[in-house]
Amino acid sequence: MSNSRSAVLFWQVAILVVVLVVWQWGFEWSKALLPKAYVPKILDPYFVAKPSLIWQSFLRLGCFADSAGFAACINGNDNNLWLATLVTLKNTWWGFLFGSASGIAAGLVLGRSDFLARVFGPYVVALNSIPRIALVPLVILIFGLGDLSKIATAWLVVFFVVFFNTFEGTRAVDRDQIAAARLLGASEFTVLRTVVIPSALAWVFASLLPAVSFALIGVIVGEFIGAERGIGKLIIEAEAHANASEMMVAIFVMMFVGILLAIAVRSLQSYLLRWQPQFEPSA
Amino acid sequence: MIAAPGPGFALARDEDEGAVARTRIAVRGLAKRFNASGREFVAVDDVSFEVKQGEFVALLGPSGCGKSTILNMVAGLLPRSGGRILIDEDTVETGKVNPRVGYVFQRDTLFPWRTVEQNIGYGLEIAGLPRSERAGRVASAVEKAGLSGFAQSFPRMLSGGMRQRVALMRTLILEPEILLMDEPFGALDTHTKLEMHKTLLEIWERERQTVLFVTHDLGEALTLASRIILLSARPGRLREDFDVAIPRPRDPVAVRETAEFGRLYSHIWHSLGEEFRRTRAD
Repeated sequence: MSNSRSAVLFWQVAILVVVLVVWQWGFEWSKALLPKAYVPKILDPYFVAKPSLIWQSFLRLGCFADSAGFAACINGNDNNLWLATLVTLKNTWWGFLFGSASGIAAGLVLGRSDFLARVFGPYVVALNSIPRIALVPLVILIFGLGDLSKIATAWLVVFFVVFFNTFEGTRAVDRDQIAAARLLGASEFTVLRTVVIPSALAWVFASLLPAVSFALIGVIVGEFIGAERGIGKLIIEAEAHANASEMMVAIFVMMFVGILLAIAVRSLQSYLLRWQPQFEPSA
Repeated sequence: MIAAPGPGFALARDEDEGAVARTRIAVRGLAKRFNASGREFVAVDDVSFEVKQGEFVALLGPSGCGKSTILNMVAGLLPRSGGRILIDEDTVETGKVNPRVGYVFQRDTLFPWRTVEQNIGYGLEIAGLPRSERAGRVASAVEKAGLSGFAQSFPRMLSGGMRQRVALMRTLILEPEILLMDEPFGALDTHTKLEMHKTLLEIWERERQTVLFVTHDLGEALTLASRIILLSARPGRLREDFDVAIPRPRDPVAVRETAEFGRLYSHIWHSLGEEFRRTRAD
């Protein structure tokens, strides 16, 4: 097997084509060729739609196929595909930002203080044992159906992930590096700023990549349970109409949002951690 | 010096008085006891010595004799169990950093997220010196370390010897009058070690810092030091004190061919050998 670039690309494209072809025509072909009992239900377009239908739904939801024109279609629907995507993306971003900022801050404080770590340790473990999703109805009860409850949900899932990694990263800082900084004249705060934080950053980033996915999950679940706008709302509405192709459109849009967020975190990571071998620019 | 009478006489007297060097480091009855799994053991027992202005003193002893422990207590990194340590007549307080004292670790303690330049400039940067004033001093330190093409490199791209040169410059750029070194070249291969000796000798013979240098390598101690303090095996006690009267400037290779090097080597080797045997007998 060749593992050159072109061979990799060939197999990637081949897999995509096979999946799309089976998805599009597999159900018809198997109905024509197989006895009824052996026709795979999983391929039934009623449940999983099919690429051509998804594309049509995308054009319709995205206001590309509206007789009234793009602008009129956008203005006529306050949860159109683009606005819904924007709302979900915005709430994910703020939830991720607040969640990781507070997680990093708490992780640093507890990581640097044995006393505080021992005082808060049991509470952190107890709170972390609550399945976060179970709290979503409560969050919506408190913060309402608007954006705030979605940001709060994303915050809930992001905070602990980032907190634990920052805490461990702060604990793992080389003591001799701290001693060296002190001997070169660093104060406690300077040690934190110039040694502890840069050193813990690798651990922090290891949690940010999953955290951004968790933030998106948090927002979508929040939108499932109660929302005025957003991609999660679109999915729930499509479910109410038993419209699989519209659901698939929403799912694909989410996939692209997730990819974009991951790329953003990844590029920030490779810049800030460029001193580590695996992020060497030439590699 | 017997000076000729005349105007030069007073000057000569001043120089003579200056030559009665003041004590920079005074260690008196120093002790260190550790508790390991309920049992107390004595690492350092009643050690006293002095280091005078401009002396290069090697603290020599077998592994585990507590020489690094002594150095760390002098640096204020480790609390002492008994005795006193004075630097310039002030008692050393644990955890308090003396800006006149520089410390070089055996382990690589460079900051891997900082470039060579940023590592060397660290002390100046956190002291609040503006970038424009740092740049010149950092550049000349980079050059002195022989790292001119590597100013923008990260430590992981450098060899062990280069990294230790960066660590040395990171300390020396703050112009410490007293330099504490904990087996700084212990992890390097023989060839690199000799190069580091050359670099250190050049710097020290020009700037004459007061140095306390911990090592278990007799050749290294004789190459660099003007005095060797030999410690016994655990618990570390003072065993002997030797003057190394090899003229300077010294070359780390040529110094080994001098008669004084050979004489001291076999003399100290005998004493050190006894201590090594005692370590093994434990």
